[in-house]
Amino acid sequence: MSTAVNVWRFVWTCWKLNLAGAMEFRLSFLLTAGMMFVNNTVWIFFWGIFFHRFPVINGWEVRDVMMMWAVSAGGVGLMNVLFGHANRLATLIATGQLDAYLVQPKPVLLHVLVSRMSVAAIGDCLFSLVLFIIFGDLTPDGMAKFVSALVIATLIFLFFTLIVHSLAFYIGNAEGLSFQFYNGLLAFSTYPTDIFHGWGRVMLFTVIPAGFISYLPIGLLREIQLSYLLAAIGAALALTAGGCCFFYRGLRRYSSGSMMAMRM
Amino acid sequence: MAAIEISGLSKTFLVKNKKPGLRGSIQSLFKPQFTRKVAVRSIDFQVDQGETVAFLGPNGAGKSTTIKMLTGILHPSEGRAEVLGFCPWKDRKHLAYHIGAVFGQKSQLWYHLPPTDTFELMSRIYELKRGEYMARRNELVRRFGLEPYMNTPVRKLSLGERMRCEIAASLLHRPRILFLDEPTIGLDVVVKQQIRQLIREMNREEGMTVFLTSHDPGDIEQLCNRAIVINHGQMILDDTVANMKREYLTYKTIELKLAEEAKDVSLHGVKVLAQHECTLRLSVNTSLTTIEKTLSDMLRRFRIRDVTIEDPPMEEIIARIYAKSAVHKQSGVLTGK
Amino acid sequence: MHGVRQRSTEGGRRGSRLAKLLKYAAVGKVTIRNHLAYVTDFFIRSIFLIIILYIFIQLWNTTFRGEGTELIAGYSFEQIIWYLIFAESFVIACPSLSTKIEEEVKSGDIGYKLARPVSYLWFHYAGYMSEVFIRMPINLAVGGMLGILVLGPPGFGWGWPGFLLVSVGAFTINFLLNMMLALCAFWVEETRGLEFVYHKFLFTVGGMLMPLELFPQVLQKVCAWLPFQAIVYFAARTAVSFDAEAMWRMLGTQAFWIAGLGAALMFIYRKGVSKLHVNGG
Repeated sequence: MSTAVNVWRFVWTCWKLNLAGAMEFRLSFLLTAGMMFVNNTVWIFFWGIFFHRFPVINGWEVRDVMMMWAVSAGGVGLMNVLFGHANRLATLIATGQLDAYLVQPKPVLLHVLVSRMSVAAIGDCLFSLVLFIIFGDLTPDGMAKFVSALVIATLIFLFFTLIVHSLAFYIGNAEGLSFQFYNGLLAFSTYPTDIFHGWGRVMLFTVIPAGFISYLPIGLLREIQLSYLLAAIGAALALTAGGCCFFYRGLRRYSSGSMMAMRM
Repeated sequence: MAAIEISGLSKTFLVKNKKPGLRGSIQSLFKPQFTRKVAVRSIDFQVDQGETVAFLGPNGAGKSTTIKMLTGILHPSEGRAEVLGFCPWKDRKHLAYHIGAVFGQKSQLWYHLPPTDTFELMSRIYELKRGEYMARRNELVRRFGLEPYMNTPVRKLSLGERMRCEIAASLLHRPRILFLDEPTIGLDVVVKQQIRQLIREMNREEGMTVFLTSHDPGDIEQLCNRAIVINHGQMILDDTVANMKREYLTYKTIELKLAEEAKDVSLHGVKVLAQHECTLRLSVNTSLTTIEKTLSDMLRRFRIRDVTIEDPPMEEIIARIYAKSAVHKQSGVLTGK
Repeated sequence: MHGVRQRSTEGGRRGSRLAKLLKYAAVGKVTIRNHLAYVTDFFIRSIFLIIILYIFIQLWNTTFRGEGTELIAGYSFEQIIWYLIFAESFVIACPSLSTKIEEEVKSGDIGYKLARPVSYLWFHYAGYMSEVFIRMPINLAVGGMLGILVLGPPGFGWGWPGFLLVSVGAFTINFLLNMMLALCAFWVEETRGLEFVYHKFLFTVGGMLMPLELFPQVLQKVCAWLPFQAIVYFAARTAVSFDAEAMWRMLGTQAFWIAGLGAALMFIYRKGVSKLHVNGG
């Protein structure tokens, strides 16, 4: 069976090819990534003005919000660049396009995820990098923490999206629903966690785990709050394990052909 | 040495019945009703290594379902299968290293990149050793005549060029069985010939088993030595192509446009299917007479403006096979073995 | 005889009234079906609107508590939330002119439409205004429900008619600016990128995300010279914090921008049309 080295070489080749394909049309590539960058800049403008008027909001300062954006944009950017099919999974499942991946000798989930790269998301990644350079802690310690934050954020984004999209194995029209959940996660992860109280706050750490992402600038980057950090890592790992299980369970159902009616 | 061995393979789907309208939607949510749709009904056959098999049947006959079960994409409801010694749905990953698939709908080639990049990816997917891969790749490129376009983006290639690259890509890892779904569809005559020849050569030289579905009689006649026909989920014919041709491709249709209206056309072995003013449609029974004789007889009697000679469509052949099999219901499957 | 004739005329009048009614009903049905695609899209946007409003309610709640004052820059908490509701409802109601014009240019439809020159711009303007004045109230209803749920019923009094009045000018200016960008389709392949950036300007210096009063002084002065403020900011502000004198000044500013931008649009349009004629479409 494939060794880790072989799988890694395969994944790396996919990423290379994706990037090469994207750069075939240089202008379109720059425009798409650029638009995403501009889109994100609007929010920086907003927060810049907001914090100019209100320097501290429930313990949050402008630097914290900027780092929150860096982590969120970076996390969702990495997800869509490296695992670009995550957001299309429901459609692939519903239209029977997983078949081509089942015929090849590589792990299906991984193969599907890495076969696409979102060009717009490259803008997100760049945006994240620029924010970190301007507002981040550029010491080795700070950089290590930022990378860790990105990993946690990416995992949560990726596997949450995977779980909601895998509903397509069971429900007919999961595309709209999964997109809403994904959007919801994205939206809530770009606002300071501490403006939410009560049931809203509970939701942010359960149903839509955006709280784990949005709190990273406070609970990891500014200073390590151990209980929070362990919870965040735990959430990321739980989503990873749960996501994989849920997908493969759904794949067994796909292989039994129970969804044939939709695919024919 | 059996490459494919299946017995009692069956597949039934449960299709949800949804009544139209809002009430129907709510009903189907709480009390869903299903109908059983039998896609494949207990088929058995065995394919030896090195055979070239045409897997035929009209649309909806159960062809894709069967192939999906053979490649491990689908689990059957009943029965067993062994492909290259593996159970396709249990050992899907192991089997995947040794089979190739060219399915009409999804192209393996990455659209915006040159074929050479896809080949590179294939070498990673199938874990081919660098040296072996390069040698094999160069050989296939030479064989399939792909040198001129190895570095052209796939989107700029013609359909024929793309198909050749597609098939070459599927052969990089030396599969023992190649599953092909409509490989020559949409291609012009010259390219069709090229592709058939290449596949034939690979089969002859490397002993690769070919399992092909097609609606093109040319594919079947030139590429395959065996035909398995399936209809309504059941196997209705398993015979050599030569036998099938002899028994079922026994007629051709000729459409003639004459200079004047034809009266009283009666030739031996020829049936008039339709006649409208100066257009005449004849069915020539090739076991009783020949096309040449029929045409020369017609030429002697009438002035001919235009001639079209058609093979009977596959659906018609299938229909005749099925009609004949209905007659032979007791003997079950019509086989030459 | 006379009676019979009268009866038949009456029947004829009733018949034609019925026919007219049926005709309008049929047109209405088709229009509704056309907008069905919009309805699903509308539901999706509505969910998003609700999420955004929920988030902003939390944000401003926290901010007001932090400041400890009743008013911030002249707005109460309720007023700021309602400001956002009006602003969002306004912006989401606007269709994409770039898409429409791009399609017309690509399909060659534009040739037929240009046969009657001035009518072309008026044609699009009429379509635009009728569309936004259907979509906007619907958006407002959805956002308004959330607002009422959280904040209680609003008491804007003159704010409502004021909002409507200022909206006319606001949508018009938006149309003019958007159309100028969309007409770049005569020269450039893709105008959707331009429209995208334009929307971002609207969100920021146009005062959609935040009333302009909260901007730093310097920036406020800059914005006062830009047309963007006359769109969302004017309309939303009139709604939540009505001030007759301010409104008349706003209307005046709008009139100035409409005149200027209108002239600019005509100029761009004529240039574009002549280019089309030169190139043969």
